[in-house]
Amino acid sequence: MAEIFKEAIKLLATFDKEIYEIVFLSMIVSFSSTFISTIIAVPLGILLGNIEFPFKRVVVRILYTTMSLPPVIVGLVVFLILSRKGPLGYLDLNFTPSAMIIAQTILIIPIIMGIVYNRTKEDGRNIHNIGKTLGASYFQRGILTIKELRIPIFIAIVSGYGRAVSEVGAIMIVGGNIKGHTRVMTTSIAMLKNMGNYSMAIAIGIVLLTISFIVNGILYHFQGE
Amino acid sequence: MDIFIENLTKEYENKRVLDIDTLNINQGRIIGIVGSNGAGKSTLIKILGGLEQPDSGSISYNGEKDFDKIYRDITIVFQQPYLLVSNVYNNIAYPLKVRKYKNSDIKNRVNTIMKDMGIDYLAKQKARTLSGGERQKVALARAIIFNPSLLLLDEPTANIDPDSMNTMEDTIKKFNKTNGSTIIIVTHNPEQAKRLCDEIIVMDKGKIKRKITNADFNQYNFRESI
Ligand SMILES: Nc1ncnc2c1ncn2[C@@H]1O[C@H](COP(=O)(O)OP(=O)(O)O)[C@@H](O)[C@H]1O
Ligand SMILES: [Mg+2]
Repeated sequence: MAEIFKEAIKLLATFDKEIYEIVFLSMIVSFSSTFISTIIAVPLGILLGNIEFPFKRVVVRILYTTMSLPPVIVGLVVFLILSRKGPLGYLDLNFTPSAMIIAQTILIIPIIMGIVYNRTKEDGRNIHNIGKTLGASYFQRGILTIKELRIPIFIAIVSGYGRAVSEVGAIMIVGGNIKGHTRVMTTSIAMLKNMGNYSMAIAIGIVLLTISFIVNGILYHFQGE
Repeated sequence: MDIFIENLTKEYENKRVLDIDTLNINQGRIIGIVGSNGAGKSTLIKILGGLEQPDSGSISYNGEKDFDKIYRDITIVFQQPYLLVSNVYNNIAYPLKVRKYKNSDIKNRVNTIMKDMGIDYLAKQKARTLSGGERQKVALARAIIFNPSLLLLDEPTANIDPDSMNTMEDTIKKFNKTNGSTIIIVTHNPEQAKRLCDEIIVMDKGKIKRKITNADFNQYNFRESI
């Protein structure tokens, strides 16, 4: 056991090229999906928190349910849509990082949107009202809302990223864990474990854990505000 | 600002919470609104400030037709004011920022008002960490910084310390004198109403039950209606 750990540390310390490629791709894919999700989910979450419409409760219920979608299901659906006979098959995206970004984006949009919605629901009206009574235009009130909710929005984004980077089921299906192409931290840990290559699995695991610690540290720090 | 209310009604869930035939408030007056919980005081304030729409009736503000312009000239201070997630200075400066004042003007005005109200030592403090009395003073400073023509106050001094209350009352009176703005204040405190107001309106179940002018304050038994 100690040997395996030593080996793992050595791999990290010597900047083993394969490991850092895997870590790098993981970061790129998860940053991309978090970025795209943020652009879509933050405005939608704010909007949902501020407007009333028929069947809103149903929409909210669906949103909360989709916050914990099973990743393998999302992976499977994205895979089928992108497969040669699927509606978006002509894009030929399966087994590429793009497909992984799409799958992760679908997974974390509800997470970011749900958290943002929840806080907007509580404070959105107050913010809107105070903006109006202090003379802010409609546009200025929108800006004010984003500014006032910046901490929960940040928490939502970090949560989304944390989910994206640690997720394995969906990207395994759509990415295929192809070496040097779609292999990321979680999929390679799963594979390395099967191959019995524990030291490399642990080396990557340490990196993943470090990222999780940072993400949770950030969340913990801001949760109290 | 002259205000003229006619046949104003508002219902929540089929319950009529506001029903005012006519109410005239002249420019520069300080009007008190008293009445028991649920009388419709806050609803009236929100409608006057443009945060709620009446179901029927009309309100004329100086006969002006451009309501966006009117609402930018009116402000409300609530019992539980929402303070921005920022420091005290930025809270008070906000109405001037949205009106695109020059930074140097903003600085001058904010510093002056903070000094006047004795809250300049709070400038850099996070607004969310203030005590109750401090919060209300900041909310009042933020409300009057842009010289609104109509200042609406919904129980602004409920549950705050006497010193803060004195500062608030002095500030309100001074603002009324120097700007000639109309002020409407909801209060549960008859002594406060007597100290501040030219006229008091007693509300009950959404209706105006009585109007009392300053001269008659002492004859009237407020306890009955509050
Ligand atoms: N958003 C709302 N939805 C339903 N009922 C409301 C709402 N706001 C106020 N009410 C009701 O309207 C009545 C008047 O409320 P309010 O104007 O706040 O009274 P006051 O400020 O005089 O205590 C109360 O019965 C209250 O329950
Ligand atoms: Mg009230």
